Amino acid sequence: MANKKLRRTGMLPELCDRLDRHQIETCQDFLSLGPLELMREAGQSYQQVQTLLRTVSLACAPTMVTALELRDRRSHAFFPTSLRGLDAVLHGGLASGTLTEVTGPSGCGKSQFCMMLSVLATLPRTMGGLDSSVLYIDTESAFCAERLVEIAQNRFPKYFSLQERVVEMAQKIHLFRELTCQNVLKRLGGLEEEIISKKAGLVIIDSIASVVRKEFDTSIPGNLSERSSLLSQEAATLKYLAEEFSIPVVLTNQITTHLSRKGTAPSHLECNVPEGKESPVSADGESGYVTAALGNTWSHSVNTRLIVQYLDSQRRQIIVAKSPIAPFSVFNYTVQNSGLELEDSAHRYHPRADSGTAKANTCCPPKHVPSADHFFSLCRSVMHPPQSYSASPQVPSQPTGVAGAW
Amino acid sequence: MMQRDVASFAFAPAVKVRLISAGFLTAKDICDLRPTELSKEAGISQQEALEVLQEVRRGPAEQGAAESRLTALELLEREQALGTVITFCSALDQALGGGIPVGKTTEICGAPGVGKTQLCIQLAVDAQIPGCFGGLGGQAVYIDTEGSFLVERVVDVATAAVQHCTLITKDTEQREALQSFTVETVLSQLFLFRCHDYVELLAQTHLLPDFLSQHPKVRLVVIDSIAFPFRHSFEDLSLRTRLLNGLAQQLTQIASQHSVAVVLTNQMTTRIGQNQSMLVPALGESWGHAATQRLILHWEGKHRFASLYKSPSQREATVPYQITPHGFRDVQLPDPSVTPADPSLTPSLNSRKRPRGEEGDPSDA
Repeated sequence: MANKKLRRTGMLPELCDRLDRHQIETCQDFLSLGPLELMREAGQSYQQVQTLLRTVSLACAPTMVTALELRDRRSHAFFPTSLRGLDAVLHGGLASGTLTEVTGPSGCGKSQFCMMLSVLATLPRTMGGLDSSVLYIDTESAFCAERLVEIAQNRFPKYFSLQERVVEMAQKIHLFRELTCQNVLKRLGGLEEEIISKKAGLVIIDSIASVVRKEFDTSIPGNLSERSSLLSQEAATLKYLAEEFSIPVVLTNQITTHLSRKGTAPSHLECNVPEGKESPVSADGESGYVTAALGNTWSHSVNTRLIVQYLDSQRRQIIVAKSPIAPFSVFNYTVQNSGLELEDSAHRYHPRADSGTAKANTCCPPKHVPSADHFFSLCRSVMHPPQSYSASPQVPSQPTGVAGAW
Repeated sequence: MMQRDVASFAFAPAVKVRLISAGFLTAKDICDLRPTELSKEAGISQQEALEVLQEVRRGPAEQGAAESRLTALELLEREQALGTVITFCSALDQALGGGIPVGKTTEICGAPGVGKTQLCIQLAVDAQIPGCFGGLGGQAVYIDTEGSFLVERVVDVATAAVQHCTLITKDTEQREALQSFTVETVLSQLFLFRCHDYVELLAQTHLLPDFLSQHPKVRLVVIDSIAFPFRHSFEDLSLRTRLLNGLAQQLTQIASQHSVAVVLTNQMTTRIGQNQSMLVPALGESWGHAATQRLILHWEGKHRFASLYKSPSQREATVPYQITPHGFRDVQLPDPSVTPADPSLTPSLNSRKRPRGEEGDPSDA
């Protein structure tokens, strides 16, 4: 809309020609100038310029819709993640038309979550899926097709007992491997056509952070702003795609250690950790706290943020940290051969004031104990044990970004 | 008026040049002529000559803005009549002097996830509360640039607000008003615009006065957020500053001319100081002057606080708040004897709009 040519807005052709000579061709050029400049370039009086502004604005302004119409339009508004507690808190699942970010230390299960979502999206609507294809942009080479099939066959054994269904599911997941920032950006630019041609209902980018952090060293001056502007551009493109096609977009992010003074850390990230155990996300007084990478600007760009973290060697937690409709909630889960499985059947809602007194979650043993060797043989990966994230002041710890760790 | 320079009028540049070179220097030289005479002497077309004469002959009252002269008393009466949009958090309403003021621009800054969009959604619902419950009974415009507006959340907040009003209904007037205050009507009177970039935002702001004239019941305009479209792909920062200043001026004018409360949300950015980094509102130093009032939402530990940072009439204050499934609310204090049992039964809703004089000193509360 911003690039709409002035000729198509209903302006007189002579006027358009005259503005062309001053390099004012699109609505964006026209609206970026002040009235005095427009008077001079267009040779019109102030009143006439106001009328022109109105004409041009009408051509590129958004249309109005009331909230009632919006509500009635959104029939398939949420994409269920099949984690019942999480879906209940999120009003049904991942909201379509918005960006959902899954962030956490390496090895926690972000890529597993993404693969599970890919399988779910290909299922028919009667089973809670989107009955559509998936565009999966993989920057860390974490996508493992065998693991995908394993998740499908273990999560829905009856449905995927037929070999054709497995093949059909696998055909619907389109994988793009991009390894540099420029390639990712180019791929995002061409994503609109892919979504239309392949009738995609879900876009996954795993992960947004890895390429950006590899290429931009924020200690060099100027890089930080360049990185922010690249990320903002990516976010704007993704939001546009999400809304235009009403599909959910899932991104994964890494974590970083934020060195700061005591008291400024948002310790709302500290949650339900059993006493005596070390929490990887903690606001200890002196050294720092762990937070999602890519900075503040990026945090504003995503609509929903889910944080995954370690609880102990087997169990992990998924936290709803930022959401327009869900309160702050914590769920424990384990990674099994059917993907992610929540531990308790009932979810827990934590009102802020109470979370200081919350004790260790009552744990029930997981349904199956995952056999580690079995999984290692499928994908080349190393499982990271929970680390202590209190960094020394000189060297901030950064996740080593081992590909495919879960 | 007669001495006014021709060059100061808002004519097209070419016309101005011709008038001046033909020897017309002040308004007095022109206003007695006929259009055909003027067009022959200055070498401009007859249509242009007619427009020039009309412009010159208009009295100063029509040329300038309508509200050029007001006494302070008139202004006081006008301000009191305009009212405020409550936030449902009584502590914040008190700090703000009743709520978000109508006719002024208020900026809400905060870190991601702290509750800016939640507050905006709450305000969009609260602006529609009928007058007999202490609200404005108006409509709301919501300009969304981030995509965080989820209708399901509005439904939750509206349901809670309607329920609250149903519980405190006392007389027949309120009962009647409640007929027209339902979740459906709240949703149908919330006008949503989704702007994807700054050009659409600028365009929408140009068209806003016309929209508000066609919908005179609108009492609240929310732009969530004004920062997002301006924070990327702007290599020329001076252009950005210029556009933002223009936008701020337009919004201030819209707020006072159409009697609406304009609420803008801003993001926070990290500023690297000597040895530390702090979060400051985004969009630069000059943007700090744009809004009349500034509210900063921030975390302190596990709790959320709202600080009134800049206001022409209220003292700086920091109050706690929380976001519940019902929306933006007070924090329930642990001592039941100090606060009423149900924090959402705020005193500001039970009485009609109180004039500012009765508020007392907010910092004493």
